[in-house]
Amino acid sequence: MTVGPDPGMAAVATAVKPKKRGRSFAPKYPAWLTLPSLLYYAIFFLGPMAILAVFSVSIQSGFGSVTYTFSSSQFSQVNDSLYITVFERTLLMAAMGSLLTIAVGYPLAYWMARYLSTYKMLALLLIIVPFWTSFLIRTYALKIILDPHGYLARDFGIDVLYTKYAVGIGLVYNYLPLFILPVFASLERMDWTLIEAATDLGARPVTAFKDITLRLTLPGVVTGGLLVFIPMCGEYIIPDILGGGKYEFVGNIIGDTFSSAQNWPFGSALSIALMGALSVFVVIYIMFATREEQFGA
Amino acid sequence: MTNEPRDHLNLLAPRSMRPKFDYLHREVQDLAGMRMSRRAALGLGGLAILAAAGCGGSTNAGGGNNGAASQPADALKGKPLEDSLVIYNWSQYDDPSTYKKFAALPDESAAGLKIHETYYSSNDELLAKLHAGGTGYDIVVPSQNAVGELIQEGGLLKLDFNLIPNIKNLDPKFLKSSFDPTGEFHVIKDFGITMFFYQNTVVKPSSEPKTMKDFYGLLNANASKGRTNVLDGAEEVVPLAAMALGFDANTGDPGELDETKKFLLSVRKGVTTISSFGYINDASAGKIILSQGWNGDVRRILAARKKQGDITAVLPTEKSEVWADSWCIPATAPHPVAAHAWINYLLEPATAVTEMNYHSYPIPIPAALDQMPADFKNDPLFNVPASYTDGYQYILNPSPQLVNARTKIYQEFKAA
Repeated sequence: MTVGPDPGMAAVATAVKPKKRGRSFAPKYPAWLTLPSLLYYAIFFLGPMAILAVFSVSIQSGFGSVTYTFSSSQFSQVNDSLYITVFERTLLMAAMGSLLTIAVGYPLAYWMARYLSTYKMLALLLIIVPFWTSFLIRTYALKIILDPHGYLARDFGIDVLYTKYAVGIGLVYNYLPLFILPVFASLERMDWTLIEAATDLGARPVTAFKDITLRLTLPGVVTGGLLVFIPMCGEYIIPDILGGGKYEFVGNIIGDTFSSAQNWPFGSALSIALMGALSVFVVIYIMFATREEQFGA
Repeated sequence: MTNEPRDHLNLLAPRSMRPKFDYLHREVQDLAGMRMSRRAALGLGGLAILAAAGCGGSTNAGGGNNGAASQPADALKGKPLEDSLVIYNWSQYDDPSTYKKFAALPDESAAGLKIHETYYSSNDELLAKLHAGGTGYDIVVPSQNAVGELIQEGGLLKLDFNLIPNIKNLDPKFLKSSFDPTGEFHVIKDFGITMFFYQNTVVKPSSEPKTMKDFYGLLNANASKGRTNVLDGAEEVVPLAAMALGFDANTGDPGELDETKKFLLSVRKGVTTISSFGYINDASAGKIILSQGWNGDVRRILAARKKQGDITAVLPTEKSEVWADSWCIPATAPHPVAAHAWINYLLEPATAVTEMNYHSYPIPIPAALDQMPADFKNDPLFNVPASYTDGYQYILNPSPQLVNARTKIYQEFKAA
């Protein structure tokens, strides 16, 4: 009743009171207008997840076919030394990759935010430009640089193609922009007068950086770090191309299980297990993302 | 090509999702009882499958075709040629002129026959499409393991050889095979074998390597000198090693599989890459010193390294893999007479010569092989002598259990 405006009442109100200029900050449009977006999300995001969940508790009845039941047998198969090793390796490599990304990305973002003014946007553009090229092509390009007959190997003795080090380099290279962007944003928003104040009050630059800059941008760093960590865990192409097919991530195992073994239930169970392992980190991410909203620069 | 290199470009969108989507599409169309766009179908598909799961329903892919496969072999007798032929094939696997000439044949042009062709890039893709009830195809070109699977599921039509008189041209040894013992469901399109090669300037074996086991023996000692490679895929890694040990390629014996696994792990440190993709280019550039390879690919590598002359190619004695792609007709083919006519036309020696010149894989039609240029006819890497292939085996997928066991050994080999 309160929602629908009564023309009669409104007329009376305007007649009696002087025109009120106040306005409501409540949303103007009805919520159901979001429905197309919600439907899209439900069908194309939740739908496949639901299929995956259903498959993961089913049983393989033949090549690429499934008998629907409710069974945990697929998950008990996941608990095998082989898969646990691969899970550990994937998480460890992704963690190392993320730390390296932070080590390479933070100074770059800092330099861009603190030292550049005229060319800031140009630098930002150069960071984003590689994204215009296919991920796959860029990974192959890296193979040329790392080639045992290439300059890096011949002149610098860095011959790491088809090892885990090449996989690590590939991870850092491909995900670096994803880290730089949020950290750059958080450095950009920082109030640099705080540093001036600290310096005025006698803080050495290192102290000022540690106590102010780092603290204020830490939530951004954690956010950016997890933003690269999570897709790194699901990586498939980089280990295959740069690891020479013998440095498997969970993604590769899942791919083999679906395509060559045509075992959909087990492949789904592996996928769900990976999601489970990652959800821990997603919780950390959400906690930090909320904290950044409250305290972050 | 069984061993079609994995198409990495396709993998950007997870390929595993595609068969699922196709399957869903089909399933929803069936439920709804009408044709609908993929997009529309997938919208309902998620709900439909949930409903099916809620009812504890069971879906057996490939089912429903069983009746058609057991029809009498001469059911097509006297039926007229249809005006359409739908081929589902590997891309660029047949000479474009073959299609034109076929459609221009007197009967075919009188029937106004039009050929439609679509492509797949792996047997998995083909199987997923057929499992999902993909009908409408008259001709498919599965590799040996997929033929076996499709026969088991009743997905293929029994061929009517009255409509394929040219079958007399085919080498009789290729009429029946381990994947189709009665020879009623397939006609060999072409075949190939798995062999190995090494760079003789770098790899210097103490005695001439002859068998696949000798290949594995060279790995550990040479990995430090350059890149060594084995062919990728559970269906390559495990059966090839099993054969090298003298076991059956398709062994399901736990003891033999265990021994195969131990053998593979013992040579693991000698393997630089596990790849079926791009090894032709890398070996042609001199970047691979020791590798397995398929004969057609090794021919190309030899041709590319002709100037340097540093590649020694070895056709293994004893056991190795032979693979074959075959012409098959799905049980649900809407134009079976045209499909038979197509297979018959491809068995003409003249057609086979055109085809071989196009795709460079041998077709076992003696009259056609005789007409091939000398550099094909006399090259053992093309016209592989029967003295080798007699001991070779087809790698098949006998059961999901065996394939799962194989995949696990393969994964352990890769992860080691």
